[in-house]
Amino acid sequence: MNSVRIRACFNNIAVSWSRHPGRGINSAWTHRSILHQTRCQSFSQSAARTGIAAPEIDFSTNEQIRDVSLLERVRVIPASPSYFTAKPDFTDSFLSLQNIYRKYQTLPTVQPGHAPRVSWKSLAQYRLLVGEPVKAAKYHKVLQILGRLNQIHPSLMPEEVRREIDSYKRLLNAHENMPRERTGDGFGRAIGVGRRKSSSARVWLVEGDGQVLVNGKSLTETFPRLHDRESALWALKATQRLDKYNVWALVSGGGLTGQAGALTLGVAKALLIHEPALKPALRRAGCITRDPRRVERKKPGKVKARKMPAWVKR
Amino acid sequence: MASSSCWRCLLRPQTYASRPSAFLPSTGTTASPFLSRAVTPAIPFSTSSPYNAAKAPAKGGNISRVQAGPPRRGQKSLRIKKKSPVKATTRPPAPGERKAARKRIVLSNTNAVEVQGLKELSPETMVDAQNHGQVLGIPGPVVDQLRAVEAFKTTQAWKLFRQPSTLQTKQSLDLAQQVAKVTDGENGKRTFLRKILTGDKASGKSVLLLQAMAMAFLKGWVVISIPDAQELTIAHTAYSPLRNTEPKQYVQKAYMSELLSRTLRANQPVLNGLQLSQEHPGMPVPLQSNMTLARLAELGAKDADLAWPAFQALWTELSAAPANAPARPPVMLAIDNLAHVMRNSAYRDADFNLIHAHDLAIVNHFVKHLSGEKTLPQGGAIVAATSASNTPLTPTMTLALRQIEARAAGTPEKDLPQPSAWEPVDERVKQVFAARGGIDVHTLSKVSREEARGLLEYYAASGLLRAAVNDSLVAEKWILAGGGIVGELERGAVTMRV
Repeated sequence: MNSVRIRACFNNIAVSWSRHPGRGINSAWTHRSILHQTRCQSFSQSAARTGIAAPEIDFSTNEQIRDVSLLERVRVIPASPSYFTAKPDFTDSFLSLQNIYRKYQTLPTVQPGHAPRVSWKSLAQYRLLVGEPVKAAKYHKVLQILGRLNQIHPSLMPEEVRREIDSYKRLLNAHENMPRERTGDGFGRAIGVGRRKSSSARVWLVEGDGQVLVNGKSLTETFPRLHDRESALWALKATQRLDKYNVWALVSGGGLTGQAGALTLGVAKALLIHEPALKPALRRAGCITRDPRRVERKKPGKVKARKMPAWVKR
Repeated sequence: MASSSCWRCLLRPQTYASRPSAFLPSTGTTASPFLSRAVTPAIPFSTSSPYNAAKAPAKGGNISRVQAGPPRRGQKSLRIKKKSPVKATTRPPAPGERKAARKRIVLSNTNAVEVQGLKELSPETMVDAQNHGQVLGIPGPVVDQLRAVEAFKTTQAWKLFRQPSTLQTKQSLDLAQQVAKVTDGENGKRTFLRKILTGDKASGKSVLLLQAMAMAFLKGWVVISIPDAQELTIAHTAYSPLRNTEPKQYVQKAYMSELLSRTLRANQPVLNGLQLSQEHPGMPVPLQSNMTLARLAELGAKDADLAWPAFQALWTELSAAPANAPARPPVMLAIDNLAHVMRNSAYRDADFNLIHAHDLAIVNHFVKHLSGEKTLPQGGAIVAATSASNTPLTPTMTLALRQIEARAAGTPEKDLPQPSAWEPVDERVKQVFAARGGIDVHTLSKVSREEARGLLEYYAASGLLRAAVNDSLVAEKWILAGGGIVGELERGAVTMRV
């Protein structure tokens, strides 16, 4: 083989850097060099290597070698000075982000809290992207800059910033996933679905004078216990609307307590369609949050979920 | 000083085991070297268990194995001390004490506020439409009468209030008017009402029955009541066949004597004013010709053997129309928990077949009047209430009641509820309802909001409901009570108050 490839040897370069101890990675020289380099930021590992490491020297073409001085041929300089930070990709990207921020920091911003909600990449996702062990604190600084950039008024958002921000966003923005707005069915009926334990209830609520039918039966027939009746209609009772609406409900599954609890949520959801402003009152009454508790599963070696078998001597 | 005990009795087991074997009986006999003849101890003595144990191997057992004592190497198995049964330090309840506590009826609460301006039930107020939706107190003498016929139930919240009072609903007003009408008579003739009260659980059936009895008492009727039909049919009271009956009937003497006693206590003033007017050849004892009906009832109440003939004689007297004596008053027959007498009882006949409840003499008496087969010339009523909580399945009666209701609502015959092909038909029950018709089935409706308001105001006036009775409270309690189930209204407002 007449073509011999040499690569930049870390030891050699380390030696060469050690000769200039004054030049730290945060020195002005580093920043300047980064500013001058209009290196396209790349997050993939192979692309990073080509971007940071010097190009390979091809000895097969003698002309090239002849033109290059001996020093330059022997002393290989990495493409990015961040090479020596051990996290070159991250450092470069962080610096470019900082640059962009400085460039556009005078642009008008929206009021705090009015910026579009963005779900940024998690630390783990970011680490995978750059392929480097980025510390949480460092990524936090990235996020701070991103948050500031996100506050730039949307109508004035430069294309450059938008592209930069987009590369840090998650693929799916959970904040864009808005719940479907519920409305009545045009006949004055509002349907709400509620669940509790293993029961589920569908509730149709219409304006009325307080008639209640659950599974075609009266409230007392469905729930012999007063407590269950109260909890089934708790959303209406807590908002003093017991005699303002008629309830027609279908409830299935589980036992009486679960069915009553399912009705609570169903009635509350249906009531919110009629009167959305009642949401804080209903939340205070505990009618908004679904109780996620279910029967705990049985485990092997146990009599029930937790109960251990009785101790037996041999 | 010589001991009165023999030496063997003084020995402890361990000393006995360590004694020389010469003292032990070496064979199966109990011969002792100190005794001239073999003796067998007449009374087993507790301290001589080794001695008794030694007797055991008489059938050739190994004597060394028999010598009792703990094993030399110690016990091998775990010994867990058994818990001795806990000895009750308190006095156990006397026979019947628990039942008495369970059945106790308290009708007054001196801590409850006396309701100011509470009207009392009277022949005038009970029919007054102005009292609709108001609570009326039951006058003291009537309370005693109602207590005697066991009209008050333990499940009702009488004990919370100063005085037993009931709500005048539309149905109680109607019933009161009917009672008044029977008393007054139409064209000089009194009718005999036949009513069955049905309805949802806790909708006030038993209380309406109580109101009917109260009205009857106020109007001077004689009331004979079976407070719970279940007692007659679950074979908890003695029964015996009745002679000369076909099909065979059975009489429950003890229950009849109780019934007469209750009837006497409740109707004493009326029965005291009535005298015998007829001969009673059925009575095993001679009767004075000028005997009062109260005395006649007392005869049966005191002697269970006379109870059934006395009841029959009493009924004959009550249904008679004596020429030269005051007219007999109307009679109300009341029975609660009707479904229990509309099926087989738990009693058996001589062939060990189940006896139908209609073959029990007193049930038969009530059923004949319910069906209209028998009636009272001077008028009266039979009022039967069903129960929704403790009730057996009686498909025939349920269907019959639904059919009667549908007919009353004007449903054409072809659209009436039909019997299920999968449910047995009880012909005897079917006959009761089909024979003559004329039974009025009264399904109790739920109370209206106005009636509920009257009731809640009474609760508030009694100091049991500490809230302002306004529209929202009435609506809340009324809706949570299933839209006006009066028993649930009581539970939600008073009984379950926290």
